[in-house]
Amino acid sequence: MDLFDRQLIFVVGKGGVGKTTVACSLALAAGRAGKKVLLCEVDGLSRAAQLLGVDAAEPGRAGRMVDGVSVMGIEGSAALAEYLGMVVPVRRFLQAVTQSELYQYFVAAASGLKELMTIGKIWYEAQRTDERGGGRQWDVVIVDAPATGHGLQYLRMPSAARDAFGAGLVRREAEKVVALLSDPKRTAIHLVTTAEEMPVNETVTMARRVREELRMPLGALFVNRLHTEQFRPADIDALLAAARSSRQRDTKLLLSEVASRAAEESGWTRLNKRYLRELERDVPIPRVELPFVFSEEFGRQQLLELVDQIEAAE
Amino acid sequence: MSAGSRKSIADVVAGHDVVVCAGSGGVGKTTTAAAIGLLGATAGRRTIVLTIDPAKRLADSLGIAELGNRPTPVPVDVKGSLSAMMLDQKGAWDALVERYAESDEVRQRIFANAFYQNLSGTFAGSQEYMAIEQLSQLKESGDYDLIVVDTPPTHHALDFLDAPSRLGNFLDRRVMRWFVRPYMSAGWSGLRVVNRTAGALLRRLEDATGVSALADVSEFFNAMSALFEGWDERVKRVEELLRSRQSAFLLVATPEEQVLSEAEYFCSKVEEHSIALRGVVFNRVQSELGSDRQSMEEDAIVEALGRAVTSAATRRRLARNFLRYETQARGDQLRIESFRDQLSPAVAVATIPNFEEDLHDVRGLRRLQDFLGKPG
Repeated sequence: MDLFDRQLIFVVGKGGVGKTTVACSLALAAGRAGKKVLLCEVDGLSRAAQLLGVDAAEPGRAGRMVDGVSVMGIEGSAALAEYLGMVVPVRRFLQAVTQSELYQYFVAAASGLKELMTIGKIWYEAQRTDERGGGRQWDVVIVDAPATGHGLQYLRMPSAARDAFGAGLVRREAEKVVALLSDPKRTAIHLVTTAEEMPVNETVTMARRVREELRMPLGALFVNRLHTEQFRPADIDALLAAARSSRQRDTKLLLSEVASRAAEESGWTRLNKRYLRELERDVPIPRVELPFVFSEEFGRQQLLELVDQIEAAE
Repeated sequence: MSAGSRKSIADVVAGHDVVVCAGSGGVGKTTTAAAIGLLGATAGRRTIVLTIDPAKRLADSLGIAELGNRPTPVPVDVKGSLSAMMLDQKGAWDALVERYAESDEVRQRIFANAFYQNLSGTFAGSQEYMAIEQLSQLKESGDYDLIVVDTPPTHHALDFLDAPSRLGNFLDRRVMRWFVRPYMSAGWSGLRVVNRTAGALLRRLEDATGVSALADVSEFFNAMSALFEGWDERVKRVEELLRSRQSAFLLVATPEEQVLSEAEYFCSKVEEHSIALRGVVFNRVQSELGSDRQSMEEDAIVEALGRAVTSAATRRRLARNFLRYETQARGDQLRIESFRDQLSPAVAVATIPNFEEDLHDVRGLRRLQDFLGKPG
């Protein structure tokens, strides 16, 4: 499976399924494979930077590269200002414009403009050439997209802009962005889900929309937080029976708790299996299965466990 | 403060007419909102749950396939009544235009306007405006004793709080003048006075951003002026409603680090808006069982399982599984405790266990409801 052999990768999924965790693991795996990676986050919370244990740089700037990965927070209005800086090179005039009240309202009123600029900035980074000449600045740009609904809205912006705006600079630029986003050789949309009812429903819808409405290339499906242990009901029953007959209070308690945790894990495993089958049927794309990582705190060590899994799948 | 010493979420719900559920994505907010709705309906109140999430999650939660842009009764056996409503933005905007447009001609002009098509589509921001509009309509209809509002993820939940005043600013008379004056005579003229070259640059900016949209914006506001005049007043009323004693804000969270840090941010924001947080619901909490077994060694557990399970390999697996869950549970409890400690004693708390099944039907919601009734 090639998971990061693209110029641009979007990691998309419902809120709470571990999208940021997967995007970070993927970035670290690509970094280990010797790639120069830019990991972009667009929700303004710097969660990826936090998880990777690096300081978040100011919006629109790449942070210091650690293990081949540099993190950048992208923010719509900052991206717009940067873009205008390129279009309107005279600083004094530009300031007169961007600091005016009218400009602020204009940005607020032209809804969708910030999303468009965010994608524009991502595109800019993905095709940017190294200042010292030679190849591209980044081997791969990985985007931790906002939760489902909003994530797809971002992806929709360039083609919406292309269709809405008449001939002009924006239309020409939007066309370039759309060309990159819909090229399966250069771009992949990875989906993240857990094997549970609602995330699976949403993932099925999402996969269809990416294919049919956005016409963008789907990459792999990451199924996160999978439970895998299954205990025989006979063993669980035996534990409970032993708990009942035990005369020692501590042992009694321990046996029943071990039984209860075994039943809990088996229940999750069964449920996960059922939804994995649904995913196999309804979202037939390459799949990467990631385990539920039990921990007191989810930190770097836990992240590295997932990186190992991704490397094995790659 | 120890568990059980706070009010229950059910108490909070009983004492308010509007309950707003906020929180990050994927924490079970929609399901919680649905359970709260069921709680109100069970108590005999005429209840409606309004979801403004783009994903059709509430429909999933209530086990009904399609939720329209109008109240749909949920078939449950309760003393009161339960309805649900999904905010379909495009439909809601269209309905507004239908209602307020002065004539057929104006209506058609608005529908054809490029800016309107952008605004009423799926773009961020306009959703919150519409939620406010819906909330005020539902409230004014007098048809409901309890309105439960499910909000988009935290970031947008904050937008939801900001929406009324932001819209107020947006519709500020001075600014409106920019837009309602015929395009080009107003347009960028204010700046053009400042500097001729800046004027040329601004035209270039319009070209660059493709914003003949400015003309569209101007036309849109002209056509919609009837609607926006009344809006100012409505926004003020909703703002008052959200700050009044009738309304309660609840925060929904899970025990994950990232979720809780966003939750903290939300709490501070809520204070800034002088809105009182009335309760916190912790979902998917891995509860600790019985006594503290932190110090227990794997080998000791394997030995204790000795007579019950014959296979040594199974005993080992059982012990490891047990310890993994205990580790997870300990982390969850520690994080929740430190979060609780920062909350005022007046804030209600509910802790919902990590159910082994997804809750997506009325039976599941009832299980959740029981935990909402327990004192925190």
